[in-house]
Amino acid sequence: MARFAGGKAPFLRIANEKGENTKRIMRDFLIGLMPVILFSWYKNGIQVYLDGNINVYEMLYPLFFIITGGLLAYVMEGLFFYITSDKKERDFKGVLRKLNTSFAIIPGVILALLLPLYTPIWILMFAAFIATIVGKMLFGGFGNNVFNPALLGYAIVGFTFSGIVTDINVIFNGSEIIIDSYAGATPLGVLSSFRGSGDALSYSALVEPYGNLWDFFLGTIPGALGETSALAILIGFLWLTYRKVIKWFTPVIYIGTVFVISWLIGIIAGDSGVWFPTYSILTGGVMFAAVYMATEPVTTPTNPLGKIFFALFLGVLTVLFRFVGSLPEGVGTSLIVMNIFAIPIDTYSGIIRTKLTKKPGIAYASILIGVLLILVVYTLVASGSMYTANLSFINAWQVIL
Amino acid sequence: MIFHNAKGIQIDGRKDMCKKHPLIDYLNPDTVYIPLIQRHLKLKPKVDVGDSVKIGQVVAEVGGFGAITSHASISGEVKSFKKVWHSSGKMVEAIEIKNDFKNQLDDRIKEVKNVKELTREELVEIMKDSGLTGLGGAGFPSYIKYQTKEDIHTVIINAVECEPYLTCDYQFIIRFAEKLIKGATYMQRAADANKIVIAYKNYNSKVVEVLKPYLEKYSNIELFPIKDIYPAGWEKYIVEQVTGKTYSTLPAEIGVIVNNSATAIIFSDAVERNIPLISRPVSITGEGVKEPKTFFVPLGTKVSELIDQCGGYVEGLDPMQANYIAGGPMTGRAILIDDLVVNDTLGAVIVKPFEIRDYPECLGCGKCADVCPVYLTPTEIKKAYERKDLRLLDLLDASKCMECGLCSYICPSHVEITDAVSKGKALLKKGAK
Repeated sequence: MARFAGGKAPFLRIANEKGENTKRIMRDFLIGLMPVILFSWYKNGIQVYLDGNINVYEMLYPLFFIITGGLLAYVMEGLFFYITSDKKERDFKGVLRKLNTSFAIIPGVILALLLPLYTPIWILMFAAFIATIVGKMLFGGFGNNVFNPALLGYAIVGFTFSGIVTDINVIFNGSEIIIDSYAGATPLGVLSSFRGSGDALSYSALVEPYGNLWDFFLGTIPGALGETSALAILIGFLWLTYRKVIKWFTPVIYIGTVFVISWLIGIIAGDSGVWFPTYSILTGGVMFAAVYMATEPVTTPTNPLGKIFFALFLGVLTVLFRFVGSLPEGVGTSLIVMNIFAIPIDTYSGIIRTKLTKKPGIAYASILIGVLLILVVYTLVASGSMYTANLSFINAWQVIL
Repeated sequence: MIFHNAKGIQIDGRKDMCKKHPLIDYLNPDTVYIPLIQRHLKLKPKVDVGDSVKIGQVVAEVGGFGAITSHASISGEVKSFKKVWHSSGKMVEAIEIKNDFKNQLDDRIKEVKNVKELTREELVEIMKDSGLTGLGGAGFPSYIKYQTKEDIHTVIINAVECEPYLTCDYQFIIRFAEKLIKGATYMQRAADANKIVIAYKNYNSKVVEVLKPYLEKYSNIELFPIKDIYPAGWEKYIVEQVTGKTYSTLPAEIGVIVNNSATAIIFSDAVERNIPLISRPVSITGEGVKEPKTFFVPLGTKVSELIDQCGGYVEGLDPMQANYIAGGPMTGRAILIDDLVVNDTLGAVIVKPFEIRDYPECLGCGKCADVCPVYLTPTEIKKAYERKDLRLLDLLDASKCMECGLCSYICPSHVEITDAVSKGKALLKKGAK
């Protein structure tokens, strides 16, 4: 007779069997960020160095900035663990063990990618503090945070130091600063100057100063470190879907929603060209948020149906905040709002999913779809009236109806 | 549809380790212990200490709904009533019978002459008398399925055995192919159905090989390959694959009865020779056993004896660091001691090294919701259970869970989510009463 250890069924776990555990997911996520990191280094470091505008040490600065972001988050989280741990186990090893399952580097790296190149390091430090300590650890650490930590850090810095973060000297790299046509800093800064001005949106005003849409796709336009290159993000997307870290449909539905609603707004504003929605999804970090933040597992719904609803809502809110809100970029704001609503959406979609054809399922589904439709109509009406030279608020209604 | 594509996943079967040896008879253990429990029903013993019993003699029974009888699986003397470990994870009262190695058969066991003339009612009565239960693991008395008022057109024989490691059904079929076919036809007559479908895993070509010769003789039997995924042996899945229809609680609603293949084999003996359910195949397998084998044993045999027959445990296995599982690895139960008796629901005992489970935090990746075969959202059910929110548990359909274990299997963070959902299901059941 022998006695054995217990345990709960099932006794096979994929996390042990094939190593498909949380650590692997997080490692793959970091690898998925690599194309973006490398591109931003190329664009802001190597290319500028080749142009002869900076020296070798300055060439390494973008990389240094991103690594600093990751390290800051790591150190801060380590300090937090050290301070909050019991006196008995307050040692280096214990902290390291906790850090091992906390994945501290990722929010730091994403935060650095969200900020412009020459953001002062003290702002990065403050943002990292907000991100890891306030956004993550105060909520109970990895897995319990309501907001995407990196996003919270970015949003607080964006709201409070908007003068610094949108300054031309901070955003532009060594080469961009000497190009005359970059009058109004980032493309979205240009877009926001159209608000209420009475001028019609035009390709020549929005896209031409930066080249053409192909440049937008490649990412050779000014902007925050990680958000400019759709190409690099696309490579990251392919990797992450291949490794099953993210679901392919969340980014696709999100970008699709932004595309369709922007197109409708363009039509209302009097320009039905495809360039406008394309421009809309290639600017302001829509791509980056779609692949790396709207898919972030902790702060978005868990079940597939919830992810679909989340992406739809997020798309509508992004357009709403971008065209109507007082801040030029709508992605961050809409994500922060949706991070909160991920919780009810998760519960609702869980109910809808299992009771698809039964009474409660239909009721909850109609609530979600109803709210979505109201938001879409409101977005169209409100933003249509803001950018239209020819149409008044009332006329916008007539176009919709 | 994107959010409704969960149809199970492929799991490494690891069945080869147990297929090296054919089914081995181990029919004369020294002592057997007949458990006095059937699912949740307590059985009343009909013998006393000191009585001598013969093979097939009724030793215990229970009346009412789910009435069932237990039979002596060896001949010998009733030694005592004592508590033994049972596959439910608890100790239960059992009748200890010491083998006299004379193999005396009870008078009831004899060749039945008029097999062809038996009516539907008589066949169901035989099923009830023989104490036949579902040998797949549920242990539900089989005759209750056949007492249905619905019009049954198809009997499905479930030979899928989708759980990893398990090979007892497979080896039982290879050995008793003819009995399977006959048992299935008796079941068809007992249900007054006109068609038999034998569902098997598509890679088990040997099953086709041994059953093919009989198919020409019985034109109403059909073989149906099922994809190699888990949980393909789930009743609802098989019925859906075979008939294309789905049901809410019982397959009889759409005119189908599903029975395990081992049950069919035992039933053919019950009809032809009136042998009750006294033995079943059991796989002793897993990385922790020296030579995994499948045995055909009388009910009540001690598993520790069978493990000795397999050459014991592998060297270097620390019993404190091993999982010892009654049933399949996905739905089975951890038993703390190897002093367990074989009962009608025990298809396998698996010994494998204990795996360390860390990463306690759920990261919300949603893989559990993706993989759920009944489209539940396990994470939400877990939260509702932790808040004891009965209304939400009901809205989230926690009662639909069939505890297949896939959500815990797939979880990258080792969250014991199947356990939480099944607790939520139990809470809902308790709260609803």
